[in-house]
Amino acid sequence: MSGGPAVRVSIESQCERQVQEVSLDGLETYVPLLSMSQNLAKLAQWMDFDQSSDSEQDGPERESREPWSKPEPEEDEGAVKFQPSLWPWDSVRNNLRGALTEMCVLHDVLSVLKEKKYMALDPVSQDPSTPQVFQLISKKKSLATAAQLLLKGAEKLNKSLAENQEQRRQRDFNSELLRLRSQWKLRKVGDKILGDLSYRSAGSLFPHHGTFEVIKNTDLDLDKKVPDDYCPLSVQIPSDLEGSAYIKVSIQKQSPDIGDLGTVSLFRRQPKAKPGKTWHVKLEAAQNVLLCKEIFAQLSREAVQIKSQIPHIVVKNQIISQPFPGLQLSISLCHSTGEKRSQGASPEKSKPDDHLYVLEHNLHQLIREFHKQTLSSVVMPHPASAPFGHKRLRLAGPMAYDKAEISSLQQSEGLLEKIIKQAKHIFLRSRSIQLQLNIGVEQIRVVHRDGRVITLSHQEQELQDFLLSQMSQHQVHAVQQLAKVMGWHVLSFSNHVGLGPIESIGNASAITVTSPNGEYTISVRNGPESGCKVLVQFPRSQAKELPKSDVLQDARWTHLRGPYKEVHWSRMEGRNFVYKMELLMAALTPCP
Amino acid sequence: SVFHVCQVPVAEGKSVQQTVDMLHKKLEQLGAVKQGNFWVDCETYQATGNATGQPTKLLYVMHNSETPLSSMALFEGGPGLTADANFDVLMVKLKSHFQNAKGHKVESRGTRYRYCDFLVKIGTVAMSSSARGISVEVEYCACVIPGDCWNLMKEFMQSFLGSSTPELPAVFTSKAEGLYAPVDCMDTMSQYLELFGKVRKQQVLAGSGVR
Repeated sequence: MSGGPAVRVSIESQCERQVQEVSLDGLETYVPLLSMSQNLAKLAQWMDFDQSSDSEQDGPERESREPWSKPEPEEDEGAVKFQPSLWPWDSVRNNLRGALTEMCVLHDVLSVLKEKKYMALDPVSQDPSTPQVFQLISKKKSLATAAQLLLKGAEKLNKSLAENQEQRRQRDFNSELLRLRSQWKLRKVGDKILGDLSYRSAGSLFPHHGTFEVIKNTDLDLDKKVPDDYCPLSVQIPSDLEGSAYIKVSIQKQSPDIGDLGTVSLFRRQPKAKPGKTWHVKLEAAQNVLLCKEIFAQLSREAVQIKSQIPHIVVKNQIISQPFPGLQLSISLCHSTGEKRSQGASPEKSKPDDHLYVLEHNLHQLIREFHKQTLSSVVMPHPASAPFGHKRLRLAGPMAYDKAEISSLQQSEGLLEKIIKQAKHIFLRSRSIQLQLNIGVEQIRVVHRDGRVITLSHQEQELQDFLLSQMSQHQVHAVQQLAKVMGWHVLSFSNHVGLGPIESIGNASAITVTSPNGEYTISVRNGPESGCKVLVQFPRSQAKELPKSDVLQDARWTHLRGPYKEVHWSRMEGRNFVYKMELLMAALTPCP
Repeated sequence: SVFHVCQVPVAEGKSVQQTVDMLHKKLEQLGAVKQGNFWVDCETYQATGNATGQPTKLLYVMHNSETPLSSMALFEGGPGLTADANFDVLMVKLKSHFQNAKGHKVESRGTRYRYCDFLVKIGTVAMSSSARGISVEVEYCACVIPGDCWNLMKEFMQSFLGSSTPELPAVFTSKAEGLYAPVDCMDTMSQYLELFGKVRKQQVLAGSGVR
């Protein structure tokens, strides 16, 4: 455009050439430009012919064909675009040439092989199968693992089984212990289990401890056969309570020699000493022994302390007393431990019915009564400082009771006295039983004590009459026995007297007895219908209505018996005939 | 029963035992019957922990064979206590408060005579096994009020004690109701205590006659 000054615009072409060097004088030397073929070669160098996918998929034949054809199209390409320089393609060409060579070789080899004349293919031997040793070892190992598992399992089972058995054994012991506990008192002291078999909790004051120990009996080898009487629990009783014992009460007529007392073991029963007695039997036996010991201790204590007219003899394990003259009551404690049998027989072979079981039973009952009294509400509960006894006795101290008051509160009769009374009663009673009635279907058979057998028919009147006659006879017999006991002498005795009024039922019987010193005589005539008639004969000195005789002048004749006097029997004191007679006899026996 | 305890002085020129025998004979002549033995004893305990200046209190624990299950504890002229026989054990436990003066134990032992309703107990009072005097206790069992039977008892005592018949003991008169209060076992024990006190004070005088 015109109009203004011209602006000079400098145009510089892009610097296409790189500066190779700058000389010292500032002259720049440029790198010579590449020609177009050079440029192409440079770019071709950057290309990776191996990576192209098309060339890979072709088989080796293609490859064999390709090698010499490949450089040609590339050469052609080079020729089209640039002047190819073989220098960047060298490596490619070498690689290709190498591949070609190898393919040719391969081809040659294959073709030679095909002819099978000069070359043959031989397969390479495979790896052989593993030898048997290894098979064995591997099988062994696998079996061993399996066996290990099984063994572990078996071991576990065994253990659990053993545990079960052990538990069962333990459980047996525990169940036995439970049963034991339900019947006996047990307590645990340390690691021992102790029990109490004394009667202390029932009210006994006997100082024996009565402790037994419970022992576990589980050291049993379960492989061996379990014995029949096996019990996992056993008890150990105190040594002085071993064996069995009983109290023997007997009445003897003759008194044995004093020297023989206490030297002979009177144990009659042979104990069946079973070695494996169960705890129940053992404990009961031991408790019985303890009770017998207590009874005997109480009796002997009373025998020594209580002053009675008849002294009691206490020798070792026997107490002897004489309730009636000529009659001897012996109470002995018979204790045998399991090992030894009764040593020898006692000199008097006492008959079995000599052994008064009733009195033994009564002794047991009495001691149990005594125990109960200790626990009665009169005694229990009691303060710890008070002694055992009646409640009122606790006031004796503070109220300053004197001896009379104290004795009125305390028990008067002891065990021994009671037993002696009972023995007396038994003795008298046994002497009085005369009849035994066997009541049959049609008839009644009566067996008399002296062997007579009488058969009665069904009519009750007969029996009544018979019994009446027996009663009257019995009363006279009673007088006879009483006379023996009281020391009176029987002068005459007749079951069927011929004198006096005739009885319509049976016969009357009569007896005459005289006192020990001969002063008095009692005559009794007893009939079933006529009743009882008792006459007493006094010595002449006591009779007032006797005239003084000229013939009998000596004073001693007055001691003879004189006239008879009748006794108003119905007004006589006494519950029954025997009591009355006893009283009469006692009244006529003067005190010495 | 009314009890009366008195001390009989030892006869001139005779020992304690001889005087006792004389009394026994007199009673037997009277018609009394021997009925066993008796004993009464007294132990002295000193109360510790007293303020200084005050005399130590003495506690006496006594026993009587007539009341075998009791123990009596009394202060001289002061209150008394009747207790169970366990009281002695209690005294042992109270050792720190009451100390037993062992040398001061006095006891009276002898025989009992019974004459109808009267019980006469003649005992030799001994202190540490040396006879110091004679105690005579007369019990009239039929009455409990001293006022009613004192004259009778006095008459009875005169019959065998002669001149040494004592007067009415202070114990009966010192009571609130006087002579007409029923007798307690404490009264008996107080009488014995008085007697033992006298005997203790007598000391060697009577002891020289022991043979």
